[in-house]
Amino acid sequence: MSEILQKHKQYLLTGVSHVIPFIACGGILIALSLAYAFQFHYVGADGAPDLTRAPLFVRDMMTIGTKAFELFPAVLAGFISYGMAGKPGLLPGFVGGFIASMPQVVGNKNTSAGFLGALIIGLIAGHIVNLLKKLPVPKMFRPVMPIIIIPIFSALPVGLIMLTLNMPLAQIMVGMGHFLQNLQGGSQIVLAMVLGAMIAFDMGGPVNKAAFFFGAAMIQQHNYAIMGACAAAICTPPLGMGLATVISRKRWTEEQRELGMAAMGMGLIGITEGAIPFAAGDPFRVIPTIMFGSMIASTIAMLGGVGNHAPHGGPIVLPVVDGRLMYIVAIVAGTVATAITINLVKKFTEKPGIAQGVNT
Amino acid sequence: MKIVAVTACPTGIAHTYMAAEQLEKTAKKLGHTIKVETQGAMGIENKLSESDISNAAVAIMAVDIAVEESERFEQIRKIKVSVQSALKNPEAIFAQI
Repeated sequence: MSEILQKHKQYLLTGVSHVIPFIACGGILIALSLAYAFQFHYVGADGAPDLTRAPLFVRDMMTIGTKAFELFPAVLAGFISYGMAGKPGLLPGFVGGFIASMPQVVGNKNTSAGFLGALIIGLIAGHIVNLLKKLPVPKMFRPVMPIIIIPIFSALPVGLIMLTLNMPLAQIMVGMGHFLQNLQGGSQIVLAMVLGAMIAFDMGGPVNKAAFFFGAAMIQQHNYAIMGACAAAICTPPLGMGLATVISRKRWTEEQRELGMAAMGMGLIGITEGAIPFAAGDPFRVIPTIMFGSMIASTIAMLGGVGNHAPHGGPIVLPVVDGRLMYIVAIVAGTVATAITINLVKKFTEKPGIAQGVNT
Repeated sequence: MKIVAVTACPTGIAHTYMAAEQLEKTAKKLGHTIKVETQGAMGIENKLSESDISNAAVAIMAVDIAVEESERFEQIRKIKVSVQSALKNPEAIFAQI
């Protein structure tokens, strides 16, 4: 059972790994063109950005980013199915995902089954192809399987299933959007803390990726707050550990201080993995500390109304962040909290003068 | 002993390469020769050829996602582990050889 789950996780992650550049390109180009619209007051009567009077290049940039986004469900489902069933999996996955991106009207909202539909239909497509591959086929018909039989008899049921699921899933997406937008006060803090804890827990591993992908997928749903909270939490573990080695040099070995410098560099460009060498050598002190720091960062970012249009974190995404000042405040607070906490923890739990070794 | 390995994590910008480095370091320490192919965000790098694979005794697959061109590894004995375990405890992987 756990092996089956493990495998499905691998399939989903295969899709995620292929789709990340699409979210990055779409999110950043759209954010830049909207930022331009605001900067030069191309704003409609309702206060929303109005690009129709903007220069051609800005409008084109918006179109290109939007197209990259529109491909997102198709590519996600396509490569989930590919991860499962190889080359024959691509077609039904792409078609199913593309259907999931079809606009649906729920109430007065335009939406789609989006990433949720893509995740589900990608897995279904992979299973259907794997079943078709197992059909006993006489040798002389074998060449027609991959070019005619499998494409048609996988895309047809996958398409029909997705067309049926489109509406209910779109309703779920709208419901989820409402739920997240209406989170306030206490529950907003809880969400931010959970995201922060998940981001820091395994520093780029599967738990981190679950929170990260949730944030990234919500960008496409025009909810930037989730990724904003994640982005602040992503960089504080390496930045905090790096800062700790600088402010209290005597608690750290020469090697750790060098690692600290490298960690800070990685933190600046939003790579949580920079904290791994510290956590690997001393997990019971380091992991709870960086979780604490990331929770502070994500909570401040969430309450400060930070939004992030790029599926990435750290100071490097500042140009596409809404609420830049609070974003910086969140990162600084999380970093300082991490650094001070780890040095205090070391002070009270370590014999003086003995710096803990690090396994590298 | 000749070993080949593949590393691949979902994002493919850090863990993939860190795991490759750990495997190389550990193999050297234990006196094995190893060639590690990385399948990161840049695609396949340091690609294993047919002869690399047929000359090796075992393939270590430290992957969290599906392996690209996996048909190359059909004939060889494989040790499948997560990227995390290659980072945290590479020696335990070599103990399985």
